[in-house]
Amino acid sequence: MARSERKQLIACLLVLCAALIPTPSLADDAGLVLSAEASHKFSKQLTAGFEAEFRSRNDFRTADRVSLGPSVTYKLLPWLKASVDYNLLIDNNREDITYQDDGVSYNNWRPSYWGVRHRFNVSLTGSYKFNRVEVSLRERWQYTYRRTRVIDNFDFDNGEWEDHEVRGKGKNVLRSRLQVEWDIPKCKFDPFASVEFHTTRDLEKTRFIVGVEHTIKKTHAFKAYYRYQLTGSGSDEPNIHMLGLGYTYKF
Amino acid sequence: MMRKISYGLLAVALAMTTASCVNDDTDMDDIIAQYQVEPVNIELDYSELVEAADVPITDEADSAYNDYVENSSWNKVISIHYDGNVANVTGSVPGVIVQASGAHVTVMNMSGPVKFVVSGTTADGSLKFYGDKRFQILLNGAAITNPHGAAINNQGSKSLYVVMADGTTNRLKDGATYTDVDEEDQKAALFSEGQMIFSGSGELAVEAVGRGGIRSDDYIRVRPGTRISVNSSGLDGLRANDGIILDGGVINILTTGAGAKGVRSGGVMTVNGGRLVAISQGDCRIETTDGVVDTTACAALYCDTLVTVNAGTIKLKASGDGGKGINAKQHVVVKGGTIQAVAVGARELKKPKGIKIDGNFSITGGNLYSYSRRSDPLDVSGTTTVAPGYVTYSLAPKVLTIAY
Repeated sequence: MARSERKQLIACLLVLCAALIPTPSLADDAGLVLSAEASHKFSKQLTAGFEAEFRSRNDFRTADRVSLGPSVTYKLLPWLKASVDYNLLIDNNREDITYQDDGVSYNNWRPSYWGVRHRFNVSLTGSYKFNRVEVSLRERWQYTYRRTRVIDNFDFDNGEWEDHEVRGKGKNVLRSRLQVEWDIPKCKFDPFASVEFHTTRDLEKTRFIVGVEHTIKKTHAFKAYYRYQLTGSGSDEPNIHMLGLGYTYKF
Repeated sequence: MMRKISYGLLAVALAMTTASCVNDDTDMDDIIAQYQVEPVNIELDYSELVEAADVPITDEADSAYNDYVENSSWNKVISIHYDGNVANVTGSVPGVIVQASGAHVTVMNMSGPVKFVVSGTTADGSLKFYGDKRFQILLNGAAITNPHGAAINNQGSKSLYVVMADGTTNRLKDGATYTDVDEEDQKAALFSEGQMIFSGSGELAVEAVGRGGIRSDDYIRVRPGTRISVNSSGLDGLRANDGIILDGGVINILTTGAGAKGVRSGGVMTVNGGRLVAISQGDCRIETTDGVVDTTACAALYCDTLVTVNAGTIKLKASGDGGKGINAKQHVVVKGGTIQAVAVGARELKKPKGIKIDGNFSITGGNLYSYSRRSDPLDVSGTTTVAPGYVTYSLAPKVLTIAY
């Protein structure tokens, strides 16, 4: 790719990101995503790994989630791979405040609490390489289950703490991610950008990511990225800016 | 270089992770503390009460003139003494017929004012009056239990003066089931079709297990110096259809029946002095009439019309489901005195409230304290008027305090 073409491509990517990412608001949150993964290639087709991740929110001040779990990826075709993974999610669920009809007086307050969920993912990723630019589309079916549990809830009407049952439920989400990666010759950093949609019956989340990856001797891979997560109108969660740092050890 | 960058990023990541230990919940400690405040303690209070002298009205034009037993001549006296299963009657008055069947005494009074001096104890007796003449019952150490109905039942519509003799304790108790007579009411352990005026420095203790404690289908007046206590597991403690006037005295009422009211007035209720403590502990009473379900919560004080407090102390507590300290269907006017109304009951079928007023509320003097554990302390459907000049005005989620 000629130098001028590279510049054009970078410019196009930047314009695309700028167009897709909505204007951030002062009410937006900010957090961190840290991940570490170990993976082993058993054959040309089969790779297995184990990943741990930590997230924060509330402008980096509050732990949001810890997750860990194994994954298995199988390359079906040179351009198509399938993966299955499980994640144990330990969430710091945000507080929930409800108000009386006047919209001012408190009705109930459920403080934040730590809870456990189980997540299963099945993914298919198709990719195509244009020279040094690889475009991939990943379709992921995500099923998350939580068990019923009882937590504290303060009822302002009754003026007392009460047991509140959080019912167990399973949730299916279709995640569609379009990603562009660029392998720049003689450059130690490979930039990438993606947009991902989380869909149930409605669009629940949209994630915009731009970042770079750096690999050392095909064994150590570092990733740094910025992620903006836009939540759907049906969610109480704020939109969030996230800084991500990831490390992968391949053996 | 790369290694330095990697270590730098790792250090930043570790630092940010370590710093992620702040709870992002809203700080609710102070707010919750306001919702978890405990009420003032209200319990039955039998202690002595120093009251101003009870000066009878002497102006015959005054509408209350006839409420004073002193304003009538009581030279006609009949004594009834209970002794177990018999009642001994002494004295006779022309126009008055007294019949005793065991310890069940029936009086037909066609004379003028007659004083009946009642004493002694019976576990199966009663005292019933007929006749439209005002009369006096001087309770002189009487203990009457009627397992079949009211202990004292006045079917006459004229004034009944209930006087507790100085230094005596008098006890009245009804039965769990009443044997009714056609076209006659007996709505309480002490029941009168006409008005009842309580006076005297003795003590009257009423226990109701079947119906109400004390009830008049007319009005009730309690004069200073009187000591009355009612313990009702049946219906209302003290009830009058046409009004209640508390001029003084020490009144203690405990009701535990479903939907029962400590004090219930169908007419205007006026408090001019004394100390009233009413505690209602019953949950809601659910009745179905013609397929229509009616749910009634208890109340320490329930009034269908106007409540006016000029002086005195009123301590009210409801602890049953949806129970109210005060449940006023019309207006409440506070000009003086001290009111404490507390609702600590559950909020299942009805909302418990310290004070619930369907009409208007106005306060120009005195002290008011209202507490609702599971609702607003003061619920006024109409207008609320708090006159200027108060020393304290404090409205918190569960407590209202106004003091002049």
